[in-house]
Amino acid sequence: MNELRRDPITGRWIIVLLGKIPTVTDFKVEPYTKNAEKCPFCWGNEAQTPPEIIAHRKSGPPNSPGWTTRVVPNKFPALRIEGALNKEGMGVFDVMNGVGAHEVIIDTPEHYKDFADLTSSEAEEVVWAYVARSLDLRGDKRFKYILIFKNFGKVAGASLEHPHSQLIALPIVPKRVLEEIEGAAKYYEYKERCVFCDMLREEIEEKDRIIYEDANCIGFCPYVSRFPYEVWILPKKHNSDFAGIPRDCVPNFARAMRDCLARIKALLQDPPYNFIIHTSPINGHERNDYHWHVEIMPKLAKVAGFEWGSGFYINPVPPHIAAKNLLSVKLDVK
Amino acid sequence: MPELRRDPVIGRWVIIATERARRPDQFSGGEPPKEELAPGEKCPFCEGNESMTPPEIYALRKPGTKPNTPGWDVRVIPSIAPLLTIDADLDRRGHGMYDLMNSRGAHEIVIDTPRHQRESEVSHEQLVKGMHVILDRIIDLEKDPRIKYALIFKNYGKAAGGGHLKHSRAQIIGTPVNLMRVKQELAGAKRYFDYKERCIYCDIIKQETALGKRVIAESQHFIAITPYASRFPFETWVLPKEHSCDIYKVDRNKVADCGSLLKLVFGKLRKVIGDFPYNLISHAAPFRRDIEKKAYWGTIEHDYHWHFEILPILTRVAGFEWGSGFYINPLPPEDACASLQKAQVS
Repeated sequence: MNELRRDPITGRWIIVLLGKIPTVTDFKVEPYTKNAEKCPFCWGNEAQTPPEIIAHRKSGPPNSPGWTTRVVPNKFPALRIEGALNKEGMGVFDVMNGVGAHEVIIDTPEHYKDFADLTSSEAEEVVWAYVARSLDLRGDKRFKYILIFKNFGKVAGASLEHPHSQLIALPIVPKRVLEEIEGAAKYYEYKERCVFCDMLREEIEEKDRIIYEDANCIGFCPYVSRFPYEVWILPKKHNSDFAGIPRDCVPNFARAMRDCLARIKALLQDPPYNFIIHTSPINGHERNDYHWHVEIMPKLAKVAGFEWGSGFYINPVPPHIAAKNLLSVKLDVK
Repeated sequence: MPELRRDPVIGRWVIIATERARRPDQFSGGEPPKEELAPGEKCPFCEGNESMTPPEIYALRKPGTKPNTPGWDVRVIPSIAPLLTIDADLDRRGHGMYDLMNSRGAHEIVIDTPRHQRESEVSHEQLVKGMHVILDRIIDLEKDPRIKYALIFKNYGKAAGGGHLKHSRAQIIGTPVNLMRVKQELAGAKRYFDYKERCIYCDIIKQETALGKRVIAESQHFIAITPYASRFPFETWVLPKEHSCDIYKVDRNKVADCGSLLKLVFGKLRKVIGDFPYNLISHAAPFRRDIEKKAYWGTIEHDYHWHFEILPILTRVAGFEWGSGFYINPLPPEDACASLQKAQVS
């Protein structure tokens, strides 16, 4: 008998299949075809991208080799930074021009190194780049939300092979974020506690879904995982805004990300994945009812008609089994 | 400059990416799926192999033939790997701060042809028979008070989560809870109705008919459009022109007309993007039984309008879409529609 579980934040139901649990090798990962030629994100090809916004450099002037993390505007932006925001109606429809920022964070100059392969200090540098760009863009009054995410591998939507993260600043608060915030607010209204803090306590108490823990952060396969091997990373201390991450929490957070991704990479043989930083909208005040966090979603199962139609997800790997398998990996990280 | 469009019902924004726009002919559904029956493997959905499936729930049969034997036109069976099962009582409980329940519900497969054909090969007459059977099944599920919602869908092709057997079939899932995505849509339609006292879908049909540039085709009673805020290239909606919120109450005299429009639209889509993977999903009102529900959904019969959504799976949903619920569509729906209008199908 399968189990239906309800996400306490959004109210979304998922189905956990409790029949035959697929083994790691049952997931067919699309082979990673290597093509390092003329990569615009490698050292020496800086001229192929728009001029850099910021970079962490060991040597050299801007837009030349010598950087270790580099942030550039997206060459094919989904949204553009120029212009004033303009909203209008067309009969029943609403339209808005595509004002926003779309930036690419090149995690490392090394073409075949992903976040999972970074050293602790390299990972920290990437996290600092996320924080710096968030702090800068929130000054722009047109923007309401900053979304930081990563697509790794073709199936997960990465158009370029060289590992990179993306940042999009939006003129509206996206729907899925609003749903999450509204759900968390409702829980807070009822219990006067943050739903994520409660989740943290629950996970720590039950133990069997945790794959990473240190003084500041926890990584676990959530009870209501939509996808096989979904992993969330939460700061232990309540904080609604990612850009406000305390300085001393950055190294631990970077290590949590790297270790969780390294476990996924080793266990599932370098699968495509997305990760998304969930944070509160830009509005200047700390919220009691929301808690920033990262959701990592390996792309192993296809989302089919039922999921689209219902918003109801089917997960063939119970999360405590996923956690057990991820923990069985022997980590080889620096 | 890319354009941000808002879905008027659900409030979802879509980026129509003019910067990375592609022409309609730059999309391809890829190669037609190869028949993947291994040597000696038999298709459990074919006539003659009835014993390979769980016993049938319902079938349209020639007079005198017995259940679970050849002689059927359309056959309904429980799913071989059911997500939800009917033979248990609903048990909802808590697990610490979490909620869970057992998977009580229905999951049925409607095999709409006894022959080993993919959907494009099924005749109009046969397709319509299948549609009638689906409606009969929903009428039956409505009688079970534990089922709140019935979803009809088809997954075709690997990228859309379809199985490896090409044999045409649809699925019905009856769920014990109201679905979040359905609720959002209903809430959006209700909001519009509360404000304007008109059905938003009826307004969309009127506006699209007047504009014409997003209408793919029409039949006497149905209309097919590429919606204004299409999430995906070639996304297509098929709506009944006459207002109605319940699919299972559709006038049976109009089913054949709906079938011919669906066949025409799929023909046009295949002409332009090849044998494409897709999900077809029904959107209809939940079952309404008890008094509270009636109060909550008091205006649903006026504010909601059932329809089908066809989602071709040609692009990949990436981190941005997951994180924001904001879709990036590289093909403006007007361009998709123009190429579909032009496509000639015999």
